[in-house]
Formats: sequence, structure tokens, C-alpha cells
Amino acid sequence: MINVQNVTKSFNGIEIIKGVSFEIQKGEVVGFLGQNGAGKTTLMRILTSFLPATTGKVTVMGKDIASDSLAVRRKIGYLPETPPLYPNMIVKDYLIFAAQLKDVLSKDIPYQLEKVMAECGIEHVAHKVIGTLSKGYKQRVGIAQAIINDPEILILDEPTSGLDPVQIQTVRQLIEGFKGKKTVILSTHILSEIEQTAQRVLIIKDGRILADDALDHLLKTHHGMNLEEIFLNIVKRDSNPTILKKT
Amino acid sequence: MKKIFIIAAKELKSYFRSPIAYIVLVITISIFNMFFFVLINEGQEATLRDILTIMEFMFIFIIPLLTMKIFAEEKQTGTIEFLVTTPTTNTVIVLGKFLGSLLFFTLLMSVSIFYYIIIEIFASPDKWTILSGIAGIWLEGVMFVAIGVLTSSWTRNQILAAITSYVILFLLFFSLSFTEHVGGNAAILIRYFSTKTHAENFIAGLINTVDVVYYLSAIFICLTLTRLSVENRLWR
Repeated sequence: MINVQNVTKSFNGIEIIKGVSFEIQKGEVVGFLGQNGAGKTTLMRILTSFLPATTGKVTVMGKDIASDSLAVRRKIGYLPETPPLYPNMIVKDYLIFAAQLKDVLSKDIPYQLEKVMAECGIEHVAHKVIGTLSKGYKQRVGIAQAIINDPEILILDEPTSGLDPVQIQTVRQLIEGFKGKKTVILSTHILSEIEQTAQRVLIIKDGRILADDALDHLLKTHHGMNLEEIFLNIVKRDSNPTILKKT
Repeated sequence: MKKIFIIAAKELKSYFRSPIAYIVLVITISIFNMFFFVLINEGQEATLRDILTIMEFMFIFIIPLLTMKIFAEEKQTGTIEFLVTTPTTNTVIVLGKFLGSLLFFTLLMSVSIFYYIIIEIFASPDKWTILSGIAGIWLEGVMFVAIGVLTSSWTRNQILAAITSYVILFLLFFSLSFTEHVGGNAAILIRYFSTKTHAENFIAGLINTVDVVYYLSAIFICLTLTRLSVENRLWR
């Protein structure tokens, strides 16, 4: 479904992403795990075609992200690290605006609107001004805009960042609801988040993938270690990098 | 094409969601009205020449305030990431945002039509000279809007966007005074690039191809550069 081949990204001559390759199958929930500044957000921005890769190739459902960007963008729902919300807009108007830009047919907009607002639990704030909402609700509105066109792929950058435990639980349940329905890529540095939602983990450090494995397999091969210990172990071992391939 | 209007409508509405639009409209139109009645009363001339010159001068100060947020605010809040990752081309985004600002500016400019109607009721003005003047100042204002949209695409700081607009507009507007100090080809060049030269012809009732081409090409160049700026994400 998503094929990333030898992708690099440089800013002002500094290589942020260093020859990354991986493949994601349909329906997988994949977690990008890494410290701050590891390159998770840059990688996601490349996948969403917000940023072009310096070298390498990315295809989504067989379509090249560089040459067929519009077609790829129709398939992807994206929640950036900061929810992309217009503070002066009313929630419902914002979601209609998002639906229109994402090519949802006019006749389908009322149904899609009702569906995503119910899924995200934001029906009762539909007529509120976005700027007046709590952080948790803003995040839910951000997720609602990402799924308004019922995309096959969902890319969520730090979806629970800055939320309180109750809000984290709500957003997590929301993401779990996508399991089996959509291909989900989420980035986080919160390990419990990955443990609870992802099936596969990509550990990223300094723009390189240090490990790419199914979560169950990763836990099984590191006897008795939890994900945090595994993560720290792999990151520390990075002085002698050996990529652990998915089995 | 439909998305251009969707984005433009959102932009236009966003002006009215903040008090700034109302303040700008009320203050600007009040000043225009005041000058209109003073000039008509003093001059006793059935012309809009002087009020159009004042409008032109004031637009230099007002338009950067209207356009500074167009892209800078999107970058500041991160909504640009949403906008450019939807299946919408950069050209459509730029045209939609430009059209939204253009419509707000046109609303501001529409007051001049009322001045024309008032003069038409009480006197016998030279209709075509007035309409040519209104069209010229409108076209000039649209160019100012395009410049404002361009400078807003260069930064995430709205104040910086406005200051950059002011610098460009001041150069275009006041450069004519330099012609006294330079001669030859430099003076010809300055005269051509000065927006005042072209606007004056419109106000005098002269619609020349050169003047129309000047404004249209400047608008086109600004919008093309804006599209490139959005595409390159240089502001990251």
C-alpha cells in the first residue's frame, strides 16, 4: 500500500532523513517511535506530500507521490502535530470546508459530517467556535477533518501530545476504532501509546530506521523486556547500527 | 475552479469574524466620505479626481494590513499544513486566497460608486473620465493586494509581511520623485515602474494598453511568485 524506497531529506545541506526504506501493507497500524528530532514528523510530511523527498521514491497505492500527488492526497487523511484548526471558525463550518477541499461530493457532505462527528464525539460542539474548545476537543476536531473524506490511509503525528490522561484515553479509543478499517501510521514518543494501538513498530533515530518489526515479535525476541527497555536498548546500540528486519 | 470560490468565501468570511475588518471599513469609508464632501464643497467641481487620488494614497497604508495574514497566519498556526495536503493545487490555493482579499478590497472601493451616483444626481460629470478613474484605482488596488499576498507568503510573521509590503508599495508609489534627480534612461525606467504614472492616466480618463498591461502583468508576476513560494515551502 505504501512503499518508501531509499528516501532522504536534506535541509540546508543537512541530511535529516538518511536513506529510509519500508513498506506498509493495507490495514496495518504502524507506529513511528523515536525521540524528539528523530525525523518522524519529516518522514510523515514526506508521506503526505507536504515536503518533497530530496532523493528516493514513495508510492502510495501504486501512485508516485511526486508525479501523482493530488491522487495520493485524496487517499490520505492527515493530522499534523499541531491540529490545523482555524480558531475563529465554527466546528461544523470548518469540517464542511475540509470536506469540500477533499473532494467529498456535495450530496455526501451532510452524511459524512454526521458520521465523523459521531465517531469523534463532537456533535455537541458542532456549533461552537473552535478557539473556545478544550485541547482534547480540538484534537478530536483535528482527527475529524482527517477522516472527513473517509481516507484509506490515516497519518497521525503525535495524536495524544499535550493531552490529559482522560483525553488521551478518548483519542486512543478513537484510533483503535480505525483498526482493520484503515491503514494507520502514527508517530509518538509515548511508548504505551504504541503498545496499545500499533501492530508494527518502526524505531527511528537521527533519520534512520533502527528497527522495523511486528510489535508481538519484537516483544517475543527480547525476552522479558518491555517496549521501553527494548527501545532504549536499540537506541543505545545505535553506535553499531544493525537494522533489525521484519520477520 | 469551484475550490477557488470555496477558499475565497472562507477568506472573505474570516475578515468579518474579526473586528479588524469592521474597524478598517468604518474608519476608511468615514475618511473617504469626509474628503469627498470637503473636496466637492470647496472645489465645486463635478469630478472624482481628487478623492480618487486620496483613495489611492490611503490604499498604500490599508491594503498591507488586509493582506498580511493571508499566508503568514496559516503558517503561524500550522493550518497551511492542512491546506496544502488536501487534494488542492497550489495555484487554486493562491487564487482562492487572492480572490478573497480582492473581494474585501472591492467592497472597500465600492464606496466610490456612491460618490459617482451623488455627483450624477446633482451635476453633469464626465461619466467616462470618472469610470476610467475608478477602474484605474481599482486595478492599482488589486495590484497592491497581489503584492500583499506575495509578501505574506514569504514569512510566518504578519508584521514582517506588512512591513515588506509597505517597502515595495512605497518604492512603487514614491519613486516618481527620484526622476528629478536622475536623468536619461533611469528616469524613463522609474517613470514606467511607478504605479502613480499609470494611475494618473486612468484618473485623467485615458485608458492606455501600456497602463493596463502594467497592472495585469504585475498581478500575474506576484501571483506566480506566490505560487512558487508556497510550493517551495521556503518559509519552513
